[in-house]
Amino acid sequence: MTESIKVTGLSKEYRNGVKALQDVSFEVRRGEFVALIGRSGSGKSTLLSILGGLDSPTSGTVSIGRTVVDYRDRKALIALRRNVVGFVFQQYNLIVSLSALENVAYPLLFNYHSKAVREKRAMGMLELVGLGDRAKHFPQQLSGGEQQRVAIARALVGDPSLVLADEPTGNLDSKTSGEIYALMRQVNRARDVTFMVVTHEKELAAYCDRTIELRDGRVLSTGLETAACADARVMK
Amino acid sequence: MIVGRYVDYLGLSARQLFTKRLRVLLTVLGIAIGVAAVIGIVAIGDGIREQAIQAIEAQSDLSLVEVHPDTQDGITQLITDARVDDIRSMDHVLAAAPAIRDNYATKKQTYLDVVAMNGPDFEQVLKPQYLHGEGMSPGTNEVVFGHDLRDTLQRVEGIRIGEGFDIVVRDYNESGYPVDTGHRLNATGSLTVRNDQFDRLLIMDLATAMTFRDDEAGYSSVFVRVDSADNVFGVAEQVKSLGLTATGAFEQIKAVNNFMDMVVMIFTLFAVFALLVGGLMIMTTMITSVFERTREIGITMAIGASEGDVVRLVMYECLLIGVMGGILGDLFGLGFATVVNTFGKPYVVASLGDQFAGIFGEQIAVVSPGLMLIGLAIAVVFSLGAGIYPAVKATRLNPVDAIRGT
Repeated sequence: MTESIKVTGLSKEYRNGVKALQDVSFEVRRGEFVALIGRSGSGKSTLLSILGGLDSPTSGTVSIGRTVVDYRDRKALIALRRNVVGFVFQQYNLIVSLSALENVAYPLLFNYHSKAVREKRAMGMLELVGLGDRAKHFPQQLSGGEQQRVAIARALVGDPSLVLADEPTGNLDSKTSGEIYALMRQVNRARDVTFMVVTHEKELAAYCDRTIELRDGRVLSTGLETAACADARVMK
Repeated sequence: MIVGRYVDYLGLSARQLFTKRLRVLLTVLGIAIGVAAVIGIVAIGDGIREQAIQAIEAQSDLSLVEVHPDTQDGITQLITDARVDDIRSMDHVLAAAPAIRDNYATKKQTYLDVVAMNGPDFEQVLKPQYLHGEGMSPGTNEVVFGHDLRDTLQRVEGIRIGEGFDIVVRDYNESGYPVDTGHRLNATGSLTVRNDQFDRLLIMDLATAMTFRDDEAGYSSVFVRVDSADNVFGVAEQVKSLGLTATGAFEQIKAVNNFMDMVVMIFTLFAVFALLVGGLMIMTTMITSVFERTREIGITMAIGASEGDVVRLVMYECLLIGVMGGILGDLFGLGFATVVNTFGKPYVVASLGDQFAGIFGEQIAVVSPGLMLIGLAIAVVFSLGAGIYPAVKATRLNPVDAIRGT
């Protein structure tokens, strides 16, 4: 199996001197479901932002698939965010003036798709996350779990090879959190999409194949295979 | 597909505006008031200008131009026969009548302003209409009175059409002493009212007038008939290029235009202040909008929007505000013009008296489709201008900070 992400010697130092990441290196295989764990301030979100082309490293390289990400090329970063990466955020971050269907279709607007194509693909994604009947509802008419499902559908609508989720269940109760992780895991397996999920809830990390643990901006471990992962391999 | 995408942007922008409709409504009103102020001022200015020009056209012989000698760079350009031929060959010139101007006096010392022209030239250029009698014959002492002059001479001197009368031509000898010579003229006709200088002139035969004096150097002026009032300004320019000057009723139109341009410009400046306030309101609205939507803009960039896409989203909102403000401003302007036209004229007449009823025709304020388009364009330009800073500010947001809300 070819690697999906290869991070080599990645460092990030902010202007105020804070070193968020220091010489971070790891690989993630295509189709893996990886949990990024670590205490608050350990550099998880910074790492996710850099992987998604929202932020740039001070040094080091990131390869996604066969492409080395050029952080000086703004157009390449926009293309990365449009075509390669999907984001899921803790706060759901749906646009309140748009319906669930329109929220999911929103990223395709910037990818030159016609309205008909956008809506068809968005509807498909909503059905995938079990919200086909809630397409016309607005965010404030949906529960937290439903909003996060819409956000997951939005992250997937551009058919990315990598989904980056930053504490996607941080605002949800444990039952709903479990449902969201189950959904992401289902999508991960069904669509062979790589997931990197930031979490500090160890019980949720158990849904993942592997955990990468960060501490003070450094990788503490990259190979903690979870029980779920072991189970999954046995099932395969 | 590209058009569809822009329609989608517009749709999204409209949705965004709808979410803050009260604020948007107030902003649109601000722009609309500015546009209405511009439209109202220009409409009244155009209305007054139109009425004034119509009044001048109704009362004046606009296609008649008088050409005079002029001095440029210390050289006086006299009107010679060659110059007259030049003028006759100009585009749009139908006829030209060279003339000598002089002053005579009656025996009772009524001073007469005299213009002497060839009879056929006079008929061709002036197209005179006679109230009494008929025109003068060439090479005779026959004269024609302007309308007002006939009244004066009849009242003061008892001179009647069809009768002869004596005049005195004063000249000066080499020692500088005045030498008066007497002549007898025959009043053969008088003109109808023309509302120009000919009402006060005595018109006589050119050759006869030249025998009264022997020291004329060129003609005093040339009366020129132009094919239409619209071409008078062009002919005046051609005359100017010969080093001569042209005067006539057309100058009143020029003066009215210059005056109204100045008045409208000054008042428009005040209206522009109103528009600037509207523009600042848009800027405030959009800056607030961008601030409130920091996270949303961050998300939009995170899911693949380029900086250009973010600029477009903000600018489309400004475009919509501008279009709404422009249309509303046009409607306000039309309403204002209607009110002025309905109630303004009776008020003017009531305030100034019935003699002013004719100053304004049907409309005091004239709102043309072109003016409404300009009003709309001003609103859109101001709105887009006001949106540039917020749009650029939105693109400067760091998506990571925006999403975190820091």
